[in-house]
Amino acid sequence: MTRQIKFFLLSVLFVLIQSQIMRLLTLEGITPDILTIWVVYLALREGQLAGTLWGFSLGLMFDLVTGSFIGLSALSKTVAGFVAGYFFNENKTALTLGSYRFIVIVLITSLIHNTIYFFVFTQGSGIGLLAAIFQVGLATTFYTATITLLPMFAFSRRRSV
Amino acid sequence: MQRFLNILALFKEYVALVLLVIISLILLGANDNVQVRAIRSSTIGVVGFFQRALAVIPNVFELKKENEILRQLNVNLSDEVNRLREARLENIRLRNLLGLREQHPLGLLAGDVVGKSLHLLRNTITVNLGESDGVKADMPIISEGGLVGRILLSSRHYAIGQLVLNKDFRASAKIQRSRVDGIIAWDGEDFLRLNNVAKTQDVRPGDVVMTSEYSNIYPPNIEIGIVTKVTEKPGNLFKEIEVSPSVDFSSLEQIFVVTASSDTERDDLERKAVRTR
Repeated sequence: MTRQIKFFLLSVLFVLIQSQIMRLLTLEGITPDILTIWVVYLALREGQLAGTLWGFSLGLMFDLVTGSFIGLSALSKTVAGFVAGYFFNENKTALTLGSYRFIVIVLITSLIHNTIYFFVFTQGSGIGLLAAIFQVGLATTFYTATITLLPMFAFSRRRSV
Repeated sequence: MQRFLNILALFKEYVALVLLVIISLILLGANDNVQVRAIRSSTIGVVGFFQRALAVIPNVFELKKENEILRQLNVNLSDEVNRLREARLENIRLRNLLGLREQHPLGLLAGDVVGKSLHLLRNTITVNLGESDGVKADMPIISEGGLVGRILLSSRHYAIGQLVLNKDFRASAKIQRSRVDGIIAWDGEDFLRLNNVAKTQDVRPGDVVMTSEYSNIYPPNIEIGIVTKVTEKPGNLFKEIEVSPSVDFSSLEQIFVVTASSDTERDDLERKAVRTR
């Protein structure tokens, strides 16, 4: 229970960081998505069901904080948490988080997340879906995966200690 | 129930995913922006495509219901058509009356027939015009068809009119084509008769009979009827001329009373001449 509260407080913190601070790291209009990294982390640590539930909760929180498109991040992060949960292995959690696997899982999850996100976001906007996915989605995915190096090294270091 | 719960527990991740996706979609649908409108539009398009594809399978219950609705609609439309037809006929009748009113510079009072007798020797009509409207005895009555008769009696709000189909009816008349004069009267049966027309005069079936200028009651040139038969009997100086009335008395509903037809100076002079004799 204490762990869930800790996750919740960290989730709130990450939502605030994503909505208020991450724009400082924007490159050519591309912002890394630390919430997806956090959802993948939770799914790899707690399992698929928890990943799905946390994905929904985080996404909804982010939607409410930004107030732009209620339900869109909730939808995409729910699926992201569910997909990341497929890589859950109770006995290899530390190994997965401290290796390149973490980056690969974030890449796959982020790609699916961004595909869903831009599929909805580009509807009726005049922006082509493929253009949005390839120009913004992929860039965001790779940027997010690059940012994942930081926690990955941290987990790797902790594992070796 | 327990089995159902066991299945749910077994697939709890999928159940959670489906539920949360549904909740997310509901939240998405609550937005009113261009994306949601486009998705709604696309969804309607997809649903419409499947509905059209499935429409080839007839739904017996729907067809029955649709049939009932169409029957009801058919009855309603038939009723409306009948009412429109009725209104059209009334419109034609009123237009004719209006046209008649415009043709006659004489004062005309429009009235409705509120009572009628057509099977007696002295047939009359009752009209809803009376002395309060300026109606007096001997005023001619006409309709869009032609001459109807004249006012016999009047009260404050009603008047009795003597019809052309009345044994006491007499009027000066003329043949429109050949200007031959005669006296029109009713024979008590189906036709009027134009009397006092000599055998030498030119009268043919189809000729129009009209009121003449000699009458001091009826204004001239009002149609009375059409000549249907002309016979000449040996030993008789005059033709026997059958005239079919122009007015259909059985369907007579609206009439005009001519209020300013008689020439009072002429009436006075003619009365004085009679007295002098």
